[in-house]
Amino acid sequence: MTTDSLSIENSKPNALRPTSRQTYAGFIVVTLSLLTAYFISRTHPEVAAIWVLANLFGLTLQRARFCFASAFRDLFLFGSGHNMKGIIIGMGIATIGFSAIMHWIIPNPGAGFLPSEAHILPVGLSVVVGGVLFGVGMVIAGGCVSGSLYRMAEGYVASWVAIIGVIIGLGALTLTWNWWWAFSISNEPKVWLPSIWNLGYTGAIVLTLLGLVAIYLLVTFMEYKNGLFMPHINKKIIPAMNFDDRVRSMLDPVFKRGWPTAIGGVVLGIIGIVMYTIHMPLGVTGELMRASQLGLGLMGVDVPVLDGLSTLGGCTGRSGEPGLLGHTFAITVGLLPGALIGALFAGEFKIRLPKQNRRYVQSITGGVMMGYASGLAVGCTIGAFFSAVPSLSLSGWVFGLAMAAGAFTGTQVIKRIG
Amino acid sequence: MADEQVPVLDVRGEICPYPMMKTNEMLDGDQKGIQILDVLTDHPPALSTVPPQAMKRGYEVEIDELGAGEWRMRLSKI
Repeated sequence: MTTDSLSIENSKPNALRPTSRQTYAGFIVVTLSLLTAYFISRTHPEVAAIWVLANLFGLTLQRARFCFASAFRDLFLFGSGHNMKGIIIGMGIATIGFSAIMHWIIPNPGAGFLPSEAHILPVGLSVVVGGVLFGVGMVIAGGCVSGSLYRMAEGYVASWVAIIGVIIGLGALTLTWNWWWAFSISNEPKVWLPSIWNLGYTGAIVLTLLGLVAIYLLVTFMEYKNGLFMPHINKKIIPAMNFDDRVRSMLDPVFKRGWPTAIGGVVLGIIGIVMYTIHMPLGVTGELMRASQLGLGLMGVDVPVLDGLSTLGGCTGRSGEPGLLGHTFAITVGLLPGALIGALFAGEFKIRLPKQNRRYVQSITGGVMMGYASGLAVGCTIGAFFSAVPSLSLSGWVFGLAMAAGAFTGTQVIKRIG
Repeated sequence: MADEQVPVLDVRGEICPYPMMKTNEMLDGDQKGIQILDVLTDHPPALSTVPPQAMKRGYEVEIDELGAGEWRMRLSKI
């Protein structure tokens, strides 16, 4: 049912072509990234572990071409759901693992405490406005925050522009956060499913998994209604080869062909679980928020003390951590070499410049919207959605639904832009 | 290869959803019916999004790698 395996079917397998310069460059980046991990580990062992895991995170995003923007957008635009299905599978896996970890931290969910570091975020106007704005922004920019980050490493110049936009947007949010806090966020409850209606862990897990299955079926129904063609996977006939060629052709499905998004979802779910056992679930906007505050400082703007943000946890809540070698740094910056390694081994690295200037306008506009929105919702598609639903947090579902509404609006916009 | 007569849709530099939007527009917009079309792209995700849309419209798809990060998808009417 996957379309990914079709992609390279008519090109030669890796084994039959000479080792390219990109492959050699890939080995150099692997070496440099591991050296970086080694030097970090001498002073910050935990950060080094997160760095290596972030490399894997970036590699997985790149190899599975994991794209939250397309997951939401293509459902409305083409009735295509293979990206969304991968995300749902990943969240299902992470739900099981996160629950085990949270149960270990808080054995009795009714006692009034929330598991530390889980992405249980406020539910209210902030997450609805943030979700809709984020959904519109990611469709206009052509990628969400994590998508733009790994595409930066693949050589997409427009994604660099989008991330600059995200940083600007987070700066704007920083300057208006205290208004939002007083106006709404300070009164918004954090709803943790195991602690309400006597659900407990079992009820919350069952409810979450049923919800995911229901959405999976809905996505399948939308595909069916659109008559989407599921191409057959043609088995490739590989000529007789020597041992070296055979070993290299075994590496083809991992390093050359794109991974099916379902596999990507499973791997991302597992990475999220391991990340949580080290410290906290996946999230990428915290470091960008730090960058935006650094930028404001350099421009001579007084960065206000952000009311209540540190009590919220999640992504941006950690942006106040001192020092360069923080955990948010390791996750966000560490995914870049991982994605670069994936692109180089696949021979897919290329500096890509949009031909039309309006694409740059789209990237910066969409980026600013995503930046502001991810600050408001205390996370992006990764932190406030992919890590929040498995935290058994209601906020993840609300953010997801709001993003869907935003993405639908976004598709109407890009249809007119052309 | 005598490719001179094969019409080309060059969507290099474009990211999702434009490669498939433009391919679909071209396939749907031509009243005479396009028999064959080469789509050039440098956006890997397009390799898994354009083919299902083309197949839905009755085309078969052949993908060739042109060089680092560039591909040609040849759509031919079945």
